[in-house]
Amino acid sequence: MSVDFWINVGVLAGIYGIFTLGLQLNAGFIGLLNFGQAGFMAIGAYAVGLLVVDFGWSLWLALLAGILLAVIGGLFVGISSLRLRSDHFAIATIAFAEIVRYVLQNAEFSGGNQGVLGYDEEWRTLSDWALAKLALIGLGDYTQLPLFIAVWLAFLVLLAVLIVLQGTPWGRVLRGIREDEDATAALGKNVFAYKLQSLAIAAALAAVAGFFVALNVTFLYPSVFDPTFTFFGYAMLVLGGFASYGGVVLGGILFWTLLEGTRLFDTALSAGQQASLRFIIVGFFLLLLSRLRPQGLLGNRAEMRVRP
Amino acid sequence: MAGSNEAGKADALQPHGAGTLRLSRPVLLLLVIVVLFAALVALYGFDATAQATVNGLVAGGYLGLGAIGLSLILGILKLVNFAHGDLLVAGAYFTILFGWLGLPLVVAMLFAMIATAALAVLTEKVVWQPLRQAGAGTLQLFLSAIGLALVLRFGIQFFAGSQVRTLGADIVSSITIGPIHLGTLQAVALVTGLVVMAVVGLALRFTGIGKEMRAFADNRALAEVSGINTRRIIDVTWAASGFLAALAGILYAVAIGSFNPNFGVTLLLSLFAATVLGGIGNAYGALIGGLVIGLSQEWSTLLLNARWKPAVGFALLILMLLLMPQGIFGKARRRS
Amino acid sequence: MTAPAGPILEVRGAVKAFDGLLAVAGASFDVERGSITALIGPNGAGKTTMFDLLSGFGRPDAGTIRLAGRDIAGMAPYRIANLGLVRTFQLTRVLAGMSVMDNMLLAARNQPGEHLAALILSPGRSRAAEAAARESAIGLLATFGLAAKAGDYAGALSGGQRKLLEIARALMTGPSIVLLDEPMAGVNPTLGRDILDHIAALRSARGTTFLFVEHDMDVVMTRADKVIVMAQGRVIATGTPAGIRADPAVVEAYLGTPHAVAP
Repeated sequence: MSVDFWINVGVLAGIYGIFTLGLQLNAGFIGLLNFGQAGFMAIGAYAVGLLVVDFGWSLWLALLAGILLAVIGGLFVGISSLRLRSDHFAIATIAFAEIVRYVLQNAEFSGGNQGVLGYDEEWRTLSDWALAKLALIGLGDYTQLPLFIAVWLAFLVLLAVLIVLQGTPWGRVLRGIREDEDATAALGKNVFAYKLQSLAIAAALAAVAGFFVALNVTFLYPSVFDPTFTFFGYAMLVLGGFASYGGVVLGGILFWTLLEGTRLFDTALSAGQQASLRFIIVGFFLLLLSRLRPQGLLGNRAEMRVRP
Repeated sequence: MAGSNEAGKADALQPHGAGTLRLSRPVLLLLVIVVLFAALVALYGFDATAQATVNGLVAGGYLGLGAIGLSLILGILKLVNFAHGDLLVAGAYFTILFGWLGLPLVVAMLFAMIATAALAVLTEKVVWQPLRQAGAGTLQLFLSAIGLALVLRFGIQFFAGSQVRTLGADIVSSITIGPIHLGTLQAVALVTGLVVMAVVGLALRFTGIGKEMRAFADNRALAEVSGINTRRIIDVTWAASGFLAALAGILYAVAIGSFNPNFGVTLLLSLFAATVLGGIGNAYGALIGGLVIGLSQEWSTLLLNARWKPAVGFALLILMLLLMPQGIFGKARRRS
Repeated sequence: MTAPAGPILEVRGAVKAFDGLLAVAGASFDVERGSITALIGPNGAGKTTMFDLLSGFGRPDAGTIRLAGRDIAGMAPYRIANLGLVRTFQLTRVLAGMSVMDNMLLAARNQPGEHLAALILSPGRSRAAEAAARESAIGLLATFGLAAKAGDYAGALSGGQRKLLEIARALMTGPSIVLLDEPMAGVNPTLGRDILDHIAALRSARGTTFLFVEHDMDVVMTRADKVIVMAQGRVIATGTPAGIRADPAVVEAYLGTPHAVAP
């Protein structure tokens, strides 16, 4: 029981870790306030669900299509809104995420609040095969373990790719733009193109996270992609530290342990009150950390000065 | 901090002017509204259009009043206050609380507005003022606003629960004027909304503090050198912002009848749309912006299923940001 | 490579207004190839706005700006920089959260590793370009006395050192013309002289053109080949330092301002 619980916490930490890698790439490394990440995640997840259920695509092909669609969404948001001031851009991205959620909730094609069901057969097959293998080493009882392994494998691979990328001249241009985009443009760098790339990659990461969310919840409904989840991502970012991909791992583990860990305590509170309390805790995290340690727990103060 | 200061100075050096464009946009807006109204009457008949228009004015009342505070705070403090929607919610739930304590409904509403004003000032003292003094950046302010919004919304939910509630007023009776049917409460909300909008407009125009607030929102650097008491203006702005937000929340609760603690976050993007439409920092603009958004959403129900109403607000917000980020009443500014 | 004839920068009738106020009101001038040219004028003459127009940070409302014969008016800053015109800012803008070396490397031109496709397809070329850039960065940092600071955060430098870094960084792009907005402001006189010596040496060695805004008339008179004088958004005089000093229009423009023409 308890092991299953912690495996599930690990799954969530990994999924939202992938999701937050994108936010780190945007907010931490190029200084772009993307608050629409949940919208990109929804696009990715629903593309997977609908392509498999309604069009009979293979799950894996649908994953690629979902990533592609999220990237197109990212390019669309970026091309239309990147010229806005940073706070207006942030509001525009939130509005984008709300529109995505709203459309999914109300349109015919997405099944509305009934959601999408029955897209994960191929995953179940793979998962059962993996469970059979795990049974050989005595771990066959933990049904979520294959998902945990898949999520963390993807998380760590993507993490490694991003860390390598950040060390290249490409990554250096991103940091230059974060520090001072005018000065970087004056040195001959196409700031818009880099911001667009950063946003598109973040959208792709959100789509991968969305894929795993789809596998985890087994049926898709719009409130799974409430824009509030973008705020969860930022809470992880503040916890782990800005401008540090390693910080995303730490932030993810800490955040979900603290958030889900509250379920382990027996309190006199009703279920609803406990749910409220979890969000209040997230709110206090954001308030306290952005006040006391704006660069995050692992963040580098000199690198990530918080500036106007 | 240095950057925004500098931009302020640069603006201060430039005279207000280029009048032709500033005048024509509101006129254009009025024209668009009249033409749209005529088109809707032609397509859907007078009765249906008039009903939707009245509904739109009801919504415009609470959206406009709700947007004033958001706009002033954004203009004065450059703060995107994501917690503003939750101040509306606080207004409605404080009313329930004071009603539960035995106060008559109208008195409970008044107390609720005062309590919410106090809450808004409290957030300034506890959260925003210290953050500004620490020289917080855009991201820090954003995250704090989101954190505060979560604490307020779920704090209310923690104590009051997430179930649907009412203010306990009579929701059945209705008024009929010609073809238009209107719940008594909606009529009250409509009249109150429009009257308070007028009062607020006059207060901003003719009282000393109102003038100072507008000057401050328009150009902080200029206002500061002209010797305005900064601290006092900021506090008064927060108090007014909270007071009007609570009133907007109460009007919403009265007009819609039932609500839960999530209604603030649902309205927030519509409030942003009204703010951007009216020009950030422009209180009159926010009022007009609220009316425009309210009308657009209700008129859209003639063409589309009513469930798309909020999406119309989002779409208008994005369109405004992309096409006219300075708003209808804002002046075009140099991009720094 | 022989330098083509004609001025490197030709400005004709440039106009820029903000809220109806003309900051630049029909300015015309040339900057000769390989010259050290000073742009002077009383406060509010439009010098910094002119720099913004030249470097793409503002689009002129009217007029043409030619860089080596090519119209660049309204072009994006990064494209102008890639055509060989690089600027510094009045208030220094080093990338504080990056090391001094990274500031320099960021400025290197033709780094294929800055593009994702090239990075993935031919990482070797990226590494080679990086090594070459590092070498020339080390050379420039040594020239500007910053070699020992290469590993420090740029934000940890003193004001004068930041100024040096910004100029070195501009030169790192291998520019044909550098625009310096008050290179001497906030720098101690000894360091200021060093900067000017470096500029003169680089002009001799590479043929780089320099256009700089400066308030110190001694510096302008002794270091510039040519002087352009702006007042109220217009160019009121151009010529040699000696010729400018004798121009009655210039003396009049400066009357009543703190920057009187030095005798």
